[in-house]
Amino acid sequence: MIEVRDLSVRYGPALVLDGVSFSVAEGESFALVGESGSGKSTILKALAGQVADWSGRMALSGQDVGRQSRRDLAALMQMVFQDPYGSLHPRRTVDDALAEPLAIHGIGDRDARVLAMLDAVGLARRFRFRLPHQLSGGQRQRVAIARALMLSPRVLLLDEPTSALDVSVQAEILNLLKRLRAEKGLTFLLVTHDLTVVSFLCDRLGVLRAGRLEEISDVALLRAGRLQSAYGRELVARSHGGRPTEAPARP
Amino acid sequence: MTLLSVRDLRVSFPRPTGGRVEVVRGITFDLGRERLGIVGESGSGKSMTGRALMGLIAPPGRVAAARMDFDGTDLTGLTPAGWRALRGARMSMVLQDPKFSLNPVMRVGDQIGEALAFHARLSARNRRARVLETLAAVRIDDPERVYRLYPHEISGGMGQRVMIAMMVILEPALLIADEPTSALDVSVREQVLEIMDDLVRRRGMGLMLISHDLNMVARWCDRILVMFDGRVVEEIAAGRLHDATHPYTRGLIASLPRMDETRAELPVLDRAALARGA
Repeated sequence: MIEVRDLSVRYGPALVLDGVSFSVAEGESFALVGESGSGKSTILKALAGQVADWSGRMALSGQDVGRQSRRDLAALMQMVFQDPYGSLHPRRTVDDALAEPLAIHGIGDRDARVLAMLDAVGLARRFRFRLPHQLSGGQRQRVAIARALMLSPRVLLLDEPTSALDVSVQAEILNLLKRLRAEKGLTFLLVTHDLTVVSFLCDRLGVLRAGRLEEISDVALLRAGRLQSAYGRELVARSHGGRPTEAPARP
Repeated sequence: MTLLSVRDLRVSFPRPTGGRVEVVRGITFDLGRERLGIVGESGSGKSMTGRALMGLIAPPGRVAAARMDFDGTDLTGLTPAGWRALRGARMSMVLQDPKFSLNPVMRVGDQIGEALAFHARLSARNRRARVLETLAAVRIDDPERVYRLYPHEISGGMGQRVMIAMMVILEPALLIADEPTSALDVSVREQVLEIMDDLVRRRGMGLMLISHDLNMVARWCDRILVMFDGRVVEEIAAGRLHDATHPYTRGLIASLPRMDETRAELPVLDRAALARGA
């Protein structure tokens, strides 16, 4: 579904991505992990057409990125950002945010589609005409996910979709993403620094460091603590470092 | 030895529709020269608790407590001048994002020295020496160079170390850190916590670490207070977090994904039931 070959990106003299290659199958959930500055978000930006100076090959659903019109790209792939407060227009209601992609793409029956989507993301219909500041962080992220799904895309790019949320709200949004993926057969490309989120939501992961892919592994290896690269294992060790010495309770 | 003793602390704000809403609803605890963690989610009242202890709740917000004693000083009824003498010198606070807590048009070194100028009588030369010494204590390799930098010229992790330097330069008895690492990259979080921990231990300070991150608090504190809806619902030794009994604490722990995650779905908190129980 997503094919990236030898992708390099420069910001001025700085080489941000250095020959990155990976592919994501249809319906698969793939994670890109690494520290800030490793280039993981840049890959999403490049796929979304927001990076000017890149070389290599990127294809979505068999078609080269850059050849498609922005309109076709939007229908095929959508993005969900970290901070739903920053990504929603502060003076547009939930209804505006959800109906706008439909209007742009000339899709009718907007009323019914907006209501159906509110139901799908678990947002009560009474929130339809609220503004972003009248919603909680979790509700806002549900709106952002709903907006991304309005055009029934096949690919979702998820940039740290839960790291701005409280722990218990994170669980709700992760469950929602997992359910939507199963229901709609979506392909996920997720960027995160949180390896436990990868373990819950993804099938494979790529470990990025300073613009290079250190390894691509099955999530089973992550769960077993057996990533191949030294750097991957270091990331795992560091995540454990942030945890209590004794394992948390099993419910 | 008890450093801070709080009984029935309440913080309230006026409601636009009249009446007042209580965001901290009667919490009681003691803090010695130890590391106390306060965990809770947005709106639990954890940050308001920290701010109330620093005298930072401005009207129309209101703070009331049956007792609030800090190291021999009665904090209830302290005058603004009394608070100023205390803050920065005997208790200080590290906030979430150094980008917003540092003065953008003042050199880093001068900002750190400001507290010294306010609270201690030192010559400019001695002040500078103390600042450099403190920068070194927060593991900044080249204090002379960093002294002259402006906040926009330093990274988030270094900014937070500068904040910590500013807060500990007068060796306060109590350090309150409110989400000190949430704005930082994972790779430097550990380091910042380590520096703070080291200072707290070596100087025998009391630390109050306020965070939403259960695991982090469990790792860096001795004791944990879990807050929900303005109240402390559970107090537990950090090493025994897995023995937590309150449904909220247990719910939080269960809702965290794990590295070896195999659950098809994460358990979600039943807020309505918790609110009824609280």
